[in-house]
Amino acid sequence: MARVYNWQIGREMSYWYPEQRPKRQFAAVFDTNKCIACQTCTLACKTTWTSGKGQEYMLWNNVETKPYGFYPLAWDVNLLEKLGAQNWDGQRYAGRTVFEAAQAGERVFGWRPEDIDYAHPNVGEDDCVNGVDKGAHFSGVHNSWFFYLARICNHCTYPACLSSCPRASIYKRPEDGIVVIDQARCRGYQECVKACPYKKTFYNAMTGTSEKCIACFPKIELGMQPQCFVNCIGKIRSAGWISKPEHARPDNPIDFLVHVKKVALPLFPQFGLEPNVYYIPPVNVPRDFLLQMFGPDVDAALETYRNAPKDKDLSGLLTLFGSTEFIVAKWKRADEQVMGYDESGKEIVRVPMREPTHVRQPFDAARNVARTNIS
Amino acid sequence: MKARNSLLMTVGVFLALLAGCAKKAPPVNDSEVKAGFEKTLPTTTDDPVWERAPLHPAKLLLQDMVEPRLMQGSTASVNVQAVSDGQRISFRLSWNDPTADDLPGPGRFGDAVAVQLPALTSPDVPAPQMGEEGKAVEITYWSAVFQAMVNGRKDEIQAIYPRATVDHYPAEAASLKSGSAAQQNMEKRYSPARSLGNPMAGPRKLPVQDLIAEGPGTLRLADKSTSSGTGKRAKDGWTVLLSRPLPKGLQAGSRTQVAFAVWEGSHQEVGARKMRTAWIPLALGASQ
Repeated sequence: MARVYNWQIGREMSYWYPEQRPKRQFAAVFDTNKCIACQTCTLACKTTWTSGKGQEYMLWNNVETKPYGFYPLAWDVNLLEKLGAQNWDGQRYAGRTVFEAAQAGERVFGWRPEDIDYAHPNVGEDDCVNGVDKGAHFSGVHNSWFFYLARICNHCTYPACLSSCPRASIYKRPEDGIVVIDQARCRGYQECVKACPYKKTFYNAMTGTSEKCIACFPKIELGMQPQCFVNCIGKIRSAGWISKPEHARPDNPIDFLVHVKKVALPLFPQFGLEPNVYYIPPVNVPRDFLLQMFGPDVDAALETYRNAPKDKDLSGLLTLFGSTEFIVAKWKRADEQVMGYDESGKEIVRVPMREPTHVRQPFDAARNVARTNIS
Repeated sequence: MKARNSLLMTVGVFLALLAGCAKKAPPVNDSEVKAGFEKTLPTTTDDPVWERAPLHPAKLLLQDMVEPRLMQGSTASVNVQAVSDGQRISFRLSWNDPTADDLPGPGRFGDAVAVQLPALTSPDVPAPQMGEEGKAVEITYWSAVFQAMVNGRKDEIQAIYPRATVDHYPAEAASLKSGSAAQQNMEKRYSPARSLGNPMAGPRKLPVQDLIAEGPGTLRLADKSTSSGTGKRAKDGWTVLLSRPLPKGLQAGSRTQVAFAVWEGSHQEVGARKMRTAWIPLALGASQ
């Protein structure tokens, strides 16, 4: 094992291969507070990539309801329980990553789901367990909570799937850091399925190979965002490029949210993969749960997010989410407008901080009808 | 007395008949695999030739040299018999395995067996674990999953999950004429491994693959497919017949090394997680 630096856990760690970062790294920010679990992203991905034979059960993109929703079953709690104590010493992770916890004979500490674990995505996750009495209403403190967690492959800097493959059939594209399985080379050993803590590689019984999210790289190569991003009706997602913390550029949207404002955090950074999908944590969830899921910066991130209305740059940048099919490589705010630019500096989108309000009269005199939608 | 004699005679005749029906156990050779010369190679696992071909009980070891390793043993040994006609060599391999695993799926693995020979016959043999750089090994791999497909299991999800229902496959859209170029293109679009010709992807005509390796992790498909084989399931194990051309430089009367590997699917054995042998001497019988 080599020694590599993982900035998300604030220290060096063991990894199967030496540190080798791509020329640039695909990354994304998901705002969990905006997700309504409509699953449009899931279907956009499904129809684009996984409608073939052997892919029936596969959801490269899925949205699950936390804390009781999983795809596959118990993907996170299973590993959290097996991995042991996961304490943080300030910004430095004091526990073991999945690479450091690898048992004798293994490259990664992992577990393998059974086929049945994939069989019931979303079933029962949002159901009300008990009946609701007539006239029942809410008052006081709401002790129940949940939130929606949209998940794709994290295109990790230190992928466990890549590390675990004995045939080196998985590689990280040097040009964009997207992690892909070579479909000509894979022999379907499912070591990657066992190793990936996020369980985002899937075995295809018809092709005898494992498959995974490819971040819609044919679109990325054209400067466009992936299907699950552009089809998101809640506009919760933004795709782009992330720099190492010491090279963060405030005019890069991902860098601004992750490194400058630190409002978007990695999912389970303690696993040690340096995942590159960053989440703005949900605001109405117990702190301990969020601490376990997003690491020690979660309090500061929530504080920053709650203050977003007073922070014109932050709230301005969030309005760019879902505003264009193209990747916003740079951004700028000027007064009440926010602009997005492509790599060459060409403006690709301009949005107002606040959409203008148009009020229509409730009655349309010309047609002699009452309007039902007047906002 | 007369009655007693007649009873003894009846028992005697019965025993003689039983002995005539029972297959002769082949002679055991513990020290090497001896491939006797046969003008015609057998095509089945119950050919009479296997009654005289010496049987080598090959002890299986854990693959615990390279990660991912197999840490807990499963199949203890594989019984090996071999015959050669001077051009090809056929192996009859049988081993105990109480569970028949021939269905693929997430977390499911098939039973399998493989024969490994040095690509070049030389006293300086490659490393027994998948060879080494510059010293390739040739592997003939049989899989129970492949065999089930060759035996007629359909190439569709219902063959694995009989109650599966699928709303729609784009390649089966009514607008696409079955078998047309457009329909086949659509099929390939959602099956990248198949469209790239990955040998793991079906459909398949053979239950075996010809593979070459120059060290762990380097396994690749041989340029030409020259092996054949068939596997039969008994109540408590598998019997597999594998036939392949002799490696370059090997002929009747010469010697080389051979190694075997067995995968027990229900024990999650796949790839490097396998039971395997060290090199075992292989002696080819001289032509008569």
